[in-house]
Amino acid sequence: MATGTRTGRSRVTLIFLLLSSATLLTLDARNFEPLQRTEETLSDLISPLRSGADRLFEPVGDAWTGVTGYDELESENEQLRQELQKLEGQRILDSDAALRLESLLDELGLPYVQDIPNIVAEVITANVGNFDRYSVQINRGAEDGVRNGMPVVTRGGLIGRIDGDPGRRHSQVALITDPGFEVGVLVVGSDDVALASGGGHDEPLVVGKGLEIDTEVEVGDEVVTSGVDRSRYPAGIPIGTVTEIDYDEARLFQILTVNPSASTDNLSFVTILLYDPLAEES
Amino acid sequence: MVSAYARSTLFLITALVLHLALFSDLRVLGVAPEVPLAIAVTAGLVGGPERGAIAGFVIGLGIDLYLPTLFGLSALIYTVWGYAVGLLEERIFRSAWWINVLIAAVATAGGLLVYAVLGELLGEANLYTDRLYVVMGVAAAYNLVLSLPLLGLWRWSWPRLLGEER
Repeated sequence: MATGTRTGRSRVTLIFLLLSSATLLTLDARNFEPLQRTEETLSDLISPLRSGADRLFEPVGDAWTGVTGYDELESENEQLRQELQKLEGQRILDSDAALRLESLLDELGLPYVQDIPNIVAEVITANVGNFDRYSVQINRGAEDGVRNGMPVVTRGGLIGRIDGDPGRRHSQVALITDPGFEVGVLVVGSDDVALASGGGHDEPLVVGKGLEIDTEVEVGDEVVTSGVDRSRYPAGIPIGTVTEIDYDEARLFQILTVNPSASTDNLSFVTILLYDPLAEES
Repeated sequence: MVSAYARSTLFLITALVLHLALFSDLRVLGVAPEVPLAIAVTAGLVGGPERGAIAGFVIGLGIDLYLPTLFGLSALIYTVWGYAVGLLEERIFRSAWWINVLIAAVATAGGLLVYAVLGELLGEANLYTDRLYVVMGVAAAYNLVLSLPLLGLWRWSWPRLLGEER
């Protein structure tokens, strides 16, 4: 009898919890503001505990990364050493290339990105699960003027965009490595606008659409955002460097592999460009 | 009774904070332990279906605060998983510790598969990918190890309740 009562009660509890979850899912899908506020409040309540624990366990995490990623670190070190040598040898050439890039951008009529209003945000959550490799959460939201789709950059270039409607004081950033992420680009020195998409975690970007076969592209060329009509991104934000050139099966278009200029690993601070293409247009 | 609730709450909050601050960084092949899922499963194994469902719901909501997926998705799946494992244990296994540990590992893999499939059905991207099976394998192995201390901690949380009912 007691077991029967307990089973009945547990079923009622299960149904209640399932209905509650389904309700929360529906409300969240509809961007129900009171729910978002509650989420923020709860998150704020846990935040001090989390910050303390973060500081306490940071050395453990670092040590673990050092042990499990030793081979990767070694090859990264080797790669960095080689790049340093190359940079040392080509310092003068590099400064010349920077001038060349600037003049090419001028020629193309690309506005200077830093003229756009921007705010710095801190990354508050990055990769706490196994299915969130392509997004981070930042501590700026609608109250700071952040809107859906705004570009997010670091010193190296574009790293993503605001994904979905931001909360009052936080937003989600979809990273450029996301295979579903697409951005209009052009190779500096050419006029052809193409579409670059994320290649996955730790993988290069792929420019797979729009770059015609006769467009002159070389390995090492810089790729920047195109900023064409109503693009979400202003022109001239660095995307990366061409590392490989291939062709589609029909040999009508070029397929470029692009090494991103900005890393999306271990992000601490990012800059949101408060860019609204429609306002710019008007 | 109050003490059991206080202990459970303390345990759940500590587990969530530890997951966010520590375990999510301890990655093998890029995969972190699925501590919240392990919490739900072990709660079911120790406390039965009802407490498994409640623990799954609470820890699911906690982790949903920090995931980009829809709020409530983890809560939904962990609730079902906590309940189902509790039911299995109560009706079928009534098992030795090593069977519980194995159940926790298998349930972790299954839970991740359901999470990915349901998430994709609800419009979330990048959940059901080629990498999913790696995630399932590594997370199951992780939870195989983690479930032992978690089972012990749940027994610490619910000593009187377990004494009364089981």
